[in-house]
Amino acid sequence: MSGDDDSSGWQLTESDPGVFTELLKTLGVPLVVDDLYSLDAEALAELQPVHALIFLFKWVGGESNEPSSGGQYDPEFPGFFAHQVVNNACATLAVMNAIGNIPGLKMGPQLSELLSFTAGMDPQTSGMAITSADWLREAHNALSPPSAISLEGLDLPKTTEDAYHFIVYIPYAGSVYELDGLKQAPVKHGVYSESGEGWVAKARDVIQARIATYPPGAVEFSLLAVHDDPLPRLQEQLAQLQAAGRQAEAGEVMMKLSNENAKRERWAFENSLRKHNYLGFIHALLLNMAKAGKLEAATEGARKALQERIERKKKGELMDED
Amino acid sequence: MAETRLAFKAGRLFRRGNTNFVDADPTKGAILLQNGEDGLLHFIWKNRSTNEIEEDLILFPGDATFAKVEQSSWGRTYVLKFSSSNQRHFFWMQDADSSRDEEFVGNVNRLLADPSIVPIWYSEGYNPNSAGPSSAPAASSSQASAGSYQATPEELARIRSIVSTLGAGGSGGQAAAASQPPPEISLTDVLTPANLRPLFAARPELAQALFPHLPADLPSPPTVETLERVVSSPQFRAAVRNLDMALRTGLLGGLVRTLGLPEEAGVGVEPFLRALQDQARREEGDGGDRMDTD
Repeated sequence: MSGDDDSSGWQLTESDPGVFTELLKTLGVPLVVDDLYSLDAEALAELQPVHALIFLFKWVGGESNEPSSGGQYDPEFPGFFAHQVVNNACATLAVMNAIGNIPGLKMGPQLSELLSFTAGMDPQTSGMAITSADWLREAHNALSPPSAISLEGLDLPKTTEDAYHFIVYIPYAGSVYELDGLKQAPVKHGVYSESGEGWVAKARDVIQARIATYPPGAVEFSLLAVHDDPLPRLQEQLAQLQAAGRQAEAGEVMMKLSNENAKRERWAFENSLRKHNYLGFIHALLLNMAKAGKLEAATEGARKALQERIERKKKGELMDED
Repeated sequence: MAETRLAFKAGRLFRRGNTNFVDADPTKGAILLQNGEDGLLHFIWKNRSTNEIEEDLILFPGDATFAKVEQSSWGRTYVLKFSSSNQRHFFWMQDADSSRDEEFVGNVNRLLADPSIVPIWYSEGYNPNSAGPSSAPAASSSQASAGSYQATPEELARIRSIVSTLGAGGSGGQAAAASQPPPEISLTDVLTPANLRPLFAARPELAQALFPHLPADLPSPPTVETLERVVSSPQFRAAVRNLDMALRTGLLGGLVRTLGLPEEAGVGVEPFLRALQDQARREEGDGGDRMDTD
């Protein structure tokens, strides 16, 4: 591994639903991304219709080049599939592999141009086409912290992002597919039934089978669901229920709406904080602490905290800095 | 103000007459890449014995590359080449440990290609901003000299492991805590919500005063409540941890100068805080009402 030019100007971003949702917004795609804490039917039902599941895990490396268990490579996959060709882009690449395969999806002109440009390309070339799109890189980088006091460089050549890997699960032409930018081709996991929960039932089995192949505790993973923005639907429901005078149900929907709005507000707040360089703020805070005569006491407190950590360390306890 | 983006130990080689042979000059030196006050990227070679800058080349994005001289049997000779001219400058790596050569070279080239992308990052054992004479004796294992703090390779390894766990959302910390902490206080223990809340409560006017330092698009009014929310956020906590780690490298002299602090403030967390005390005193003094200090 060279560790050299494999990031091509793509910066590290957080794998946070708020970040993904903001990215989709920039791409002109009316979908949102939420954390899935559980794969059970109830948790998924809340988010339906779900268009894709993104499985994110700390990569253990040394994965075989075999398709994951139960699946088969489908080199003839007619949808969109791009290889991961640069570091740090994998979150955005995962999003592209997901939204590139949702029929009839509304999207901004740049994205639709890029997707039609890659039509017929092999996965490697598609990956390069995507990662060399300046506007996409800018949209991605817009959500990463500024590098003014970043220590990322200290961690070269193996950056934190290397350790993470994203796999996308989508329904495509009646089958569940697994799109992994590090695999040669999409992996077909077989047909799903349209009845009941539909494709997510099959996807759940596939993902659970995958998780079962790791020793317990060996990998950290999380799951994200790419789904329709529930706000318009909730607003419509609310209007209908209120018009029909069904106040109790309207109240329930109102509660959901307010939770959803609170989450958006939090995302906007965090995304704003995420892009910020705090050096000036930290300096101003410390200066004001000093002027208020509180910095020395705080420094003394920090010395105590350090002593305590050392003491605890001596006792062999596991420490917790936060 | 010149801002050092990258620094590592390296010496020069000179062409023997008009031949194609180059000879290594044993003088101890360092290559620094700086964003100059002129807004341009400077490639600087500094003599580590005299601390004099002996070479200062202005580089335009994409014009120069830093490449390994494959003909060199020793393997640690590099050449700075320009696409706009035939100029060649030869260097040899002087860090005792060659394991990071590729990192240095990769960073140099990234910076040469795009001056805006490389984060601050320094060679261990060499502080480009320390004013004194050579602070890095040949045996690079010595802990500290001439009062300047130097991160040892072990400490840097630790920083690397800590940084690698900082990860997204500031959710790291756990693994970092499990490794041995350097015996230095942590900025994260100073800028705690518990320390800051009483300050905001006592001086609510800070909400207005500090707001210009917060993101312009922050969707929240300039209130004490917003400040509290910011200082409790994982993003702010991560930024403090990041600065804390950066200060522990002892190499932030250039950065702290941009805050109006002396270079010595960049050698560690405590010196940084002491310098801030002084700065606060000075500013209070300027305002006319002297503080009664003991």
